[in-house]
Amino acid sequence: MPELQQKKIGIIACSGEELPEGTVTRLAALRVLEQLRPSDTVTICLPLFLAGGEGDRAFAKFYPTIAIDGCEKRCAYRGTEQYSNRPAVGIVVSDLITQDGLEQPVGRRKLNAAGMQAVERTADLAANKVDELLGKSWSRREGRFDGPQAPAQEEGAATCSCGSGIPIQKVQVNGQEMSLVALPLIFQNLFQQGRIPGNDVADEMMAMVKIYNEINPEIEADVKVVVIEAYAGYFRKQEGEA
Amino acid sequence: MIPFLEIKVDKFTFRVDPTCFFNSEGVWVRVAGNRARLGLSDFLQQRSGDIAFVEVKPEGSLVSFNGAFSTIETIKVNIDLSSPVTGKVVLVNPALENTPEVINQDPFGEGWICEVELNEWEADQSRLLDATAYFELMKREAEDEVKNI
Amino acid sequence: MIKSIQKIVIVPCSGIGKSYGTVSRVAAYQVTDEDRPDQTQLIPLALLVMGDEATRKILAESQAVTIDGCKLGCAAKMVRQSGGQVAREFAVLDVFRRYRDFKPQGIAELNEGGEKLADALAKEIDAVVDELSNSKEGDSHA
Repeated sequence: MPELQQKKIGIIACSGEELPEGTVTRLAALRVLEQLRPSDTVTICLPLFLAGGEGDRAFAKFYPTIAIDGCEKRCAYRGTEQYSNRPAVGIVVSDLITQDGLEQPVGRRKLNAAGMQAVERTADLAANKVDELLGKSWSRREGRFDGPQAPAQEEGAATCSCGSGIPIQKVQVNGQEMSLVALPLIFQNLFQQGRIPGNDVADEMMAMVKIYNEINPEIEADVKVVVIEAYAGYFRKQEGEA
Repeated sequence: MIPFLEIKVDKFTFRVDPTCFFNSEGVWVRVAGNRARLGLSDFLQQRSGDIAFVEVKPEGSLVSFNGAFSTIETIKVNIDLSSPVTGKVVLVNPALENTPEVINQDPFGEGWICEVELNEWEADQSRLLDATAYFELMKREAEDEVKNI
Repeated sequence: MIKSIQKIVIVPCSGIGKSYGTVSRVAAYQVTDEDRPDQTQLIPLALLVMGDEATRKILAESQAVTIDGCKLGCAAKMVRQSGGQVAREFAVLDVFRRYRDFKPQGIAELNEGGEKLADALAKEIDAVVDELSNSKEGDSHA
């Protein structure tokens, strides 16, 4: 049975070069990634993401992300939504500065003191959002974070079993039960694109399955057959409900 | 074509060519007749970063098992690579002179480092990991790295 | 008769995963804010790709110099995809090969080697800006 990966949060900063707020987003994201929540977060490089970076886009599709934008144009948030999936949280530095009554940051290459204050505030907010998304809460008595709450197990084909937030589906391959992470989402994605079950979609489907699951090459062909059949069943069900 | 072994950690995918043997560092060897090509595994190239410079023992040089045969330099690390075979360097990849980043782009293909005429392949092979064994080693190293951040 | 010269657009990748991305950003600022402020204009890559009309209009009317951190070449690729004319493209990795002693470290803040590399890169870009300002060359690599 494949191991399920630890849930992590993707951080995407706009790094906009025109405004000091863009530099604030960059430094705030790095502060979260390197100092505040290094083991809970992953950096999404926005230019690579927009240029078609497969690893980053796949990650953002199925893991929660926090977009940190400098201004109301929200390039990081909109880009993530357009090319992958809607971010779980969007922070806009210019709004945060207004809300909190902070001084306007100055400097693009090097921020002034007001800019660094905005970095701290933005990073703290993002770190808190990371904790919320991971289901952590601070225990004052214990002086540490409580672990993630285990989600209630639900009966049925698609259950979330590791606290990762990613649904899984159990299938039978050669008489053995196998859990495939993200399979319900993959089916949903293909159905929304109007992809009809069959050999044309099979390779694409397996490529997506292999992004989230370790598939033994010796049984890959058998897994493929099972996944095609499962998608056909899903497709018929969705069409029947439409 | 036999598919590559793959593992995904966070947003990174690491691949292992099933036709190669590996030393524990992550240097691969692919044998054809009495010659072998050597290169860097996908995991090792990703962990090292963008390769800026590569130095390789020149053609005609002798290499011994576990002896240094090449040095790669990135902004993160300088690594002396240990040879997984014993023999004589007969060809150095000419692409490495001007475009060493080919190692990052295609570590098991166009990014090969050198070719060696083999002297003691049977003895050397017994000290190497096959692709499956290297894959397990690589998995542990990749997961440990993520945990130790 | 003096011809009015369109500003040359500078587009750094600002990649956040590696030091090279910060070098691209710092070099861009040096060129547009300090060395050649009258001849250059900085364009944020993300704004361009997300279809900002004003940004696209500027790009359509100008020659672009792109600065990529690594060989993935995101800035050059996306400027071209956005309909821009890339007059010269730089990769920080290539520049590092010319200035081996200036090894960059740090992403939020560059070390001394990174600052020196950014400075060396900025000077190379300044030379290209001067060249382009005086001629009408097409695409070529640096």
